[in-house]
Amino acid sequence: MKKLIILILIIGFGHTIYGQNYNDFDTDSTKTEAFKPSKSQFMIRGYGHTGLNSVSSDDETESSYVGSAFAPIFLFKHSDRLLFEAELEFVLEGNELEVGLEYANVMYVLNKNMTVRAGKFLLPFGTFMERLHPAWINRLPTKPLGFGHDGIAPSSGIGVELRGAFDLGGPKLNYSLYSTNGPRIKDGSVEPEEAGMLQFQNYEDNNNSKAFGGRIGLLPFADSSTEIGFSTYSTNKVGATDSQYENVGAFLYAFDFAFVKQFSGFGVIDIKGQYNNSKVDDATYTELDEFGNPEEYTFNNESNSFYTQLSYRPTTSESDFMKKLEFVGRYSNYNAPADAEWSGESEQYAFGLNYWLTWRSLIKVAYQTTDSVGGHDGGGTTNGFFVHWAIGF
Amino acid sequence: MKTIHKILIKGSTLLAIAAIVVSCSSTKDTYVNATEVEEFKMEKSGAQMWGEACNRCHLAPSPADYNDTDWETIGLHMRIRANLTEKEITKIEAFLKSAN
Repeated sequence: MKKLIILILIIGFGHTIYGQNYNDFDTDSTKTEAFKPSKSQFMIRGYGHTGLNSVSSDDETESSYVGSAFAPIFLFKHSDRLLFEAELEFVLEGNELEVGLEYANVMYVLNKNMTVRAGKFLLPFGTFMERLHPAWINRLPTKPLGFGHDGIAPSSGIGVELRGAFDLGGPKLNYSLYSTNGPRIKDGSVEPEEAGMLQFQNYEDNNNSKAFGGRIGLLPFADSSTEIGFSTYSTNKVGATDSQYENVGAFLYAFDFAFVKQFSGFGVIDIKGQYNNSKVDDATYTELDEFGNPEEYTFNNESNSFYTQLSYRPTTSESDFMKKLEFVGRYSNYNAPADAEWSGESEQYAFGLNYWLTWRSLIKVAYQTTDSVGGHDGGGTTNGFFVHWAIGF
Repeated sequence: MKTIHKILIKGSTLLAIAAIVVSCSSTKDTYVNATEVEEFKMEKSGAQMWGEACNRCHLAPSPADYNDTDWETIGLHMRIRANLTEKEITKIEAFLKSAN
């Protein structure tokens, strides 16, 4: 029995000692190969923001913490040339969670000057919607007039695009050409007060006519401080097939301008601007008169909007606190067709003070005043005070 | 409007053909460091391009926030989204990888 116990102990301890020797950390680690990343990469980036909005018009004041917006961007790098990108947007609005697919497209680098992409993508109509609208990039908590809901500038489309850039030995030229399903027209059957408006969410084309558009951007100086761009967007048909609006066409164009430069001993000056114009062919719409009888009318369906923004960061200040501040001012206006049911003119001034926590996170404090004549809410003056916190990741 | 649409389509087609011809006519597939071509020619550094190109839209990112592999994915994404030239993104990516 004793011999058996001794034998078990020898085997037990011997096994442990052997095991410890075999699993020697130093020996093992020196044999391990260095980490080698794969060519395929999956990455989640994106942004989010939250804050407080206090908006007062002539007869009422509304103050509310606005729900957090969360916009994850999924990047799948299949190879050095092939990339898939998609952005979801989760927004709390009107006691509901709204979920949207901002874009989802696949891109392939054909050569050093040319990339093709297909799917739903942000349209390079000017630069604001494609490059500047994310909360951590937009220097103010709100969009300029003419963008977003009921805006005249298209933000995204489903189709194909060819884009790229050329180095001209100092100056640079970038271009984009695309074809999408194009917009559809609101004929007034659902919302009579919006008859003649373009609706750019055209996930399934309502006719066989595609929209064509493009942008050319020129950076004339070698320091890339200045960019001027011209964009167009055109379609032959915006109405549904076999409807009376089938052959109504639309032509939109935009000019954009950007100047960003660091001045030694002063700081960074950032100027942005964009002018949008939208012209839809004349068409006949129907409205009900005061007795409820249908009445036909038409109008010159041309709209335009403009914004310009100036911001300044005293990055050369000796104070660490001042270095992180940014002063912003923005002017924007929007003119809807004079004789449309949704006619109106708006003018807006916005002023902001930002504090940059990091290069991708900032706190924005802003005051905004908007004067309107006509429009959905009948016009008047609306003042807003905003405190927002935005973060990119 | 139809005339404008036709002009735009023709113009876009010509522009696309021009872009294809110009981009395909170059035999150089990848950006070659300037020192290999003309040693005396002064070129911008990746750090300088990082400051100029990124700041056109947002503040220039900190190199330390991502590793080399992440910068490759972000570089490809930004090259397309911001319409950067191959030379710009090659130099910027090299700088970010060297400084993180």
